[in-house]
Amino acid sequence: MNIPIQRKGFSLLLISVFSLWSRADSIRFDLESGHTKCISEDIKSNSMTVGKYQIVNPNDGHPLPDSHKITVRVTSAYGNSQHYSDDVTEGHFAFQAVEAGDYMACFFAADHKPSTTITVDFDWKSGVAAKDWTSVAKKGSVELMEIELKKMLDTVQTIHDEMYYLREREEEMQLLNKATNNKMFWFSFLSILVCLSVTGIQLWHLKSFFEKKKLI
Amino acid sequence: MARGMGGEAAALLCLLMMSASWRAAALSLIVTDVECVYEYVYYKDDTVSGNFVVVDHDASWRSSNPGVDFTLKRGSIIDPELMQVTTPENSIVYSLKGSTGDKFDFKVSSGMHKFCFHNPSNSPEAVAFNIHVGHIPKQQDLAKDEHFEPVNAKIAELRESLTSVTLEQKYLKARGYHHRHTNESTRKRVIGYTVGEYVLLVALSGLQVVYIRKLFSKPVAYGRV
Repeated sequence: MNIPIQRKGFSLLLISVFSLWSRADSIRFDLESGHTKCISEDIKSNSMTVGKYQIVNPNDGHPLPDSHKITVRVTSAYGNSQHYSDDVTEGHFAFQAVEAGDYMACFFAADHKPSTTITVDFDWKSGVAAKDWTSVAKKGSVELMEIELKKMLDTVQTIHDEMYYLREREEEMQLLNKATNNKMFWFSFLSILVCLSVTGIQLWHLKSFFEKKKLI
Repeated sequence: MARGMGGEAAALLCLLMMSASWRAAALSLIVTDVECVYEYVYYKDDTVSGNFVVVDHDASWRSSNPGVDFTLKRGSIIDPELMQVTTPENSIVYSLKGSTGDKFDFKVSSGMHKFCFHNPSNSPEAVAFNIHVGHIPKQQDLAKDEHFEPVNAKIAELRESLTSVTLEQKYLKARGYHHRHTNESTRKRVIGYTVGEYVLLVALSGLQVVYIRKLFSKPVAYGRV
């Protein structure tokens, strides 16, 4: 897992870091052949989402072995397939999330006789982070600081919206708890009632039975 | 992105501003046995902050869910000039056993880091976790650039604070899911067991009546009762 960082020249370092950042800002995980791994992310409706995946080459300089191929499927919360690619080493997807909810990206590595482990590098951004800020910057001679502050404004707006959402969820949960509490209250009365009525019916039935048998 | 000022200095500034931390990962994994996620930390003394919550758990009679074990391991650091391993592979930086959710926040040195979850129980559990690697450009980094303005460092700090608020929100949201799951499961189980209790009560009293009737029915034995 060597990531080449050139040390000569401070600016060169930063340039390489920048290029690495735009490519390797991501999560990586191991995928055994024949297994599926799924990653899900909660995406709000009408937000842009961008994903990029590639197989990490364990030997730098040699081409990837043919067996290292993965199948990727991205499904929405309701099961609609948003992206599917079969037997690839890398790819990307971007779509506007129409339905809000848990989107799942599943990776499957084809079965291979000596079980191999493939390292997959996956980058999934949605909402604020998915916006392409470089194109916004190129539109004019926009001040760099202004871009940063615009990004932060967007983030703050998202935080504000999230707070509303969290508050709604908390209210729902409170209602659910109150309803359960109510139900339990009525159920405990009902259980006393059931107990007493069952006892009453038993006694009445046995009494009439014994009277019929002329034992009482 | 070069402005009127010296090209390289501008590029430097641009790159630092753009490259510093919008790196965050928010995902949810299904952990059957061990699941590991790798993240590369570029600068020394970056802060790794994050949180994880076990979302879909098997609520049962046990009062506490066993949770998952969380470990943060550091990969080996390979010195590019010497092309040699300077630090051994998989040295454990942080470890937490049997928790259903926690926040963490620490400074790490550069290199590849591995975030691992181990599920001790048999049933697979869904874990939602968020990680953020934060970097604030310090004065020393840009000492060579005479156009360095302290306001850039302040903006970076502000951005870090905003990211920490976002992380906290995601943590609260995941915990909300966890609690909601517990509540719904409790509700179903309680209603189920109450109705079962009634049915059992009625059935038992019926059995009692049948047994007593059998005791007093004549054909069994005339003088026994």
